[in-house]
Amino acid sequence: MTTLLLLLLPSMLFMAGVFALPLARYLWLSFHADSVMTGLVAIPNDGANWNRFLNDLRYWQDLGQTLRFAVASVTLELLLGLAIALLLNQPQRGRALIRTTSLIPWALPTTVMALGWRWIFNTPYGPVNRLFESVFGHSLNALGEPSLAWLTTVYADVWKTTPFVALILLAGLQTIPSDLYEAARLEGAGALTCLKKITLPLLLPYLGLALMFRMAQAFGVFDLIQVMTGGGPASSTESIALYAYWNALRFLDFGYSATIMIGSFIILTMMVAIAWVVIATARRRSVVGAPS
Amino acid sequence: MKMNRSIIPLLIIWSLAPLVWQLYTSFCTDQALVMPFAEHAQRWTLAHYQSVLNSDPPFLNYLFNSLFAGVLSTLLTLILALPASYSLSKLNQRTATLIKALLIGCALFPYVLLFLALLEVARFLQLGNSLIALSIPYAALSQPLAVLLLTNAFADLPTELEDAARVEGLTLLQRFRWILLPLIAPAIASTSILVFLFSWNEYPIALTWISDSSKLTLPVAMARIAGSSIHSVPYGPYAAATVLGSIPLILLVMAFQKPIVSGLTSGAVKG
Amino acid sequence: MNWMKRTSSRFILVIVSIIASTVLGVSTLARQTDSVSILMPAPFADATAELVRSFNKEHKGRIHLDVIRGPLETESISDLAISSLLLGDTPFDGLLMDVTWVAKYAKAGWLAPLDAYFTDQDFASLAPGANEGNHAEGALQRWPLTSDLGLLYWRTDLMDEPPRTPKQLETISSRLQNSGQVPFGYVWQGRQYEGLSCVFLEMIDGFGGEWYEPQSGAIGLDGPAGIAAATWLQDLIATGISPRAVTNYSESESLQSFKSGNSAFMRNWPYAWAELQKDDSPVKGKVGITTMVAESNQPPAATIGSWGLSLLQGSHHPQSTIEAIKYLTNEQSQRYLFTNFGYTPTQAALYKDEQLTNAYPSLVAIGEALPYARPRPQTPLYAQMSDVLQRNLSSTLTGLTPPPAAMKQAQDTTEQVLIAAGATP
Repeated sequence: MTTLLLLLLPSMLFMAGVFALPLARYLWLSFHADSVMTGLVAIPNDGANWNRFLNDLRYWQDLGQTLRFAVASVTLELLLGLAIALLLNQPQRGRALIRTTSLIPWALPTTVMALGWRWIFNTPYGPVNRLFESVFGHSLNALGEPSLAWLTTVYADVWKTTPFVALILLAGLQTIPSDLYEAARLEGAGALTCLKKITLPLLLPYLGLALMFRMAQAFGVFDLIQVMTGGGPASSTESIALYAYWNALRFLDFGYSATIMIGSFIILTMMVAIAWVVIATARRRSVVGAPS
Repeated sequence: MKMNRSIIPLLIIWSLAPLVWQLYTSFCTDQALVMPFAEHAQRWTLAHYQSVLNSDPPFLNYLFNSLFAGVLSTLLTLILALPASYSLSKLNQRTATLIKALLIGCALFPYVLLFLALLEVARFLQLGNSLIALSIPYAALSQPLAVLLLTNAFADLPTELEDAARVEGLTLLQRFRWILLPLIAPAIASTSILVFLFSWNEYPIALTWISDSSKLTLPVAMARIAGSSIHSVPYGPYAAATVLGSIPLILLVMAFQKPIVSGLTSGAVKG
Repeated sequence: MNWMKRTSSRFILVIVSIIASTVLGVSTLARQTDSVSILMPAPFADATAELVRSFNKEHKGRIHLDVIRGPLETESISDLAISSLLLGDTPFDGLLMDVTWVAKYAKAGWLAPLDAYFTDQDFASLAPGANEGNHAEGALQRWPLTSDLGLLYWRTDLMDEPPRTPKQLETISSRLQNSGQVPFGYVWQGRQYEGLSCVFLEMIDGFGGEWYEPQSGAIGLDGPAGIAAATWLQDLIATGISPRAVTNYSESESLQSFKSGNSAFMRNWPYAWAELQKDDSPVKGKVGITTMVAESNQPPAATIGSWGLSLLQGSHHPQSTIEAIKYLTNEQSQRYLFTNFGYTPTQAALYKDEQLTNAYPSLVAIGEALPYARPRPQTPLYAQMSDVLQRNLSSTLTGLTPPPAAMKQAQDTTEQVLIAAGATP
């Protein structure tokens, strides 16, 4: 037993150093003024950071924008990913080719393609604008319009992640025993009924898992936004991670940057907790519905 | 299943079209990029590649830095995660479940929120501008995924095997080296490749820990190309850099697609 | 006793020779070359390459200067410098600093005061306006290398005289646009970035207001002048005097439009002059420079965008770094930088040099604008303040918020930032 714990210890210590320690440090910093104005020395400030955080319209706007990005991109990724997974869930040739091409967007560094997207969505020289112009006759200011720019970031994220989500869901589909479908078909159920009664309930845990992981990742979106739009235009694509980054490295306000991060962590934890309850309920129901 | 057959080319086009466009851009002269349909005396050029390869420091330097940080982080991750996951697979159910839940929580955490504290760590321990030091946070951040994947692999091994070896008088280290590790080699392979990809691609920490341009890793170097010319945005060199930066990863994915997928899916299926 | 004396004297001899050799060793160490490095944005690093070479030749064996070539954009080089400084192992001795960083870097304690190294005579040699923005925390923090300032470019072939007031600019533009001589009247920097703050500073001052007064802590954004400035800029877009796309223009896009003959006026920095006089320029020889428009009872304002060299705290070779700074900013170097790369000098003597002013008429116009040079708010919180302003202006220019509401929002948020930082007097 002691040997076992000893073996576990180094890994746990490393994790504590990189997860627990920073959070504790943020919590402490969030009750201190530590900025260029204090000469980068931490001075207790009676929760002024938290007061500012709660009243910081910009933070809440960024949170809204981040959630908008997360919900839009994750929804699209799950829907498209599910459709692709269902269509691919048949034995076929060229599986390796599909796997490789699906993995490439996911495996490339985000910053590498973020630059590419800036060029592809460039007005007037990028291919998207050229295509748009030839069809509609006027130009598309994709990265310059606040109402459009965030959609381009969603597109970039969907491009990168959908094939990956499809692969995860495909793995889930392949755990569903085929005799379930055969039994259902014998009872005269159509394809749609099968999907609704068998596939979706059994796939739900996977969908839930993919949803939770992707949401958490999208919540922290940083690389893509920083390189592709820098948060603009009119701050319409700024995410909370980017705002925290500006506060630390551009405004030299570590106390407030730490407050943003610990505050966002609390918000995220609450959201994950809610999602967890929902998924757990769904899982229990699916287990009752069809034992596998 | 007609749909099925048409979806495959669609999927491939969807995934590769932007890359193909970058490939095309990288060989075009600046003029050809601005006026694609006009006649040009010179449409194709290798100038963008030359400028990227001959820049100071040379582009290949960044690839090497990323490779170095990636390999080192992977090794460190395995050294930490292998004993931990063995131990986790042997611990009693309740403790193990608790630790696993904790690991999942950490794996879910958007680690970008940690950059400020990690920057402070780098400052106090003088770890800045060192690729070796960079592997410490990378290995630590990779622990949740690596431990979860490897614990699954250890748990799948029949206990009789190890018991038999113990009866034979093999010590823990010997059992590890000669019996267990060879058996979970596939899981180690997929864990390694996933950790390597993470380290190769990591951006926010590399951005804050490395300021010396000769030590930049690929993602940060790419982002920095953004501001390197006065009068126009250098899309040609960008594209050339995209292509050069993608090639190693595309080769890697082609070679290791099986362990990558099995790592990802076993994480999803059992997690 | 005698032997003792002899041994002791021998002993002393040994000690003396040891000490002597150490001292000699130290002095040979001291004679080793001081390696000095300065971080600069890419264009400056390229422009000074020749100067650095000659400096190293002149100081061979004593100082070796190494310029580190940073990224181009002001924001990215600031990020790089700050992250290097935060990491605590600054790999350089000096830094080429934008005027807006001085207060922040000085407050953070990263800069070494330069007062001891520069005499009254040195200060007297500076052109008016060049001395702005070099002091912070009650000390000299950087020495100016080039004095950039915002100017109004106009087409001499389309009008006899440049406009002096905002109203005149509108009238001339509309006339030229209506007669089909140019598609657009005025191009400027409307993207959400630092350039927009520079444009706005010139207008709010031109309408008789003040963005921020560090001494009194007064913010004038939602005052009459602030609202007038924002409204005027927004109207330019609404009435078509400025293209809609100006909301995504930085300096290079503005220059592109003006250079191709698509607009009658442009707001830009002095560097644009050389670009407009190139052989491929359709407006070559048809361009004049003047100060920005202002209400008739107000002096015009020209935003300072100067760059200067600072010595970093913790440099191992302060004296040698100062020598390098002095070399790079002396009259001769500035003449070279101006004639070869168009960087505006900071030495007063160059503006009176007839050989130069004859060859470069733009220098006269710049010299005339220098007295109107205006710094952006000199506070360590400038980055936040400018960010708030850009955000709200961008929101107004893209039509999301009407100007008065946007300026009210900018005012309130700026106040919040100042209160949160404990900077309200």
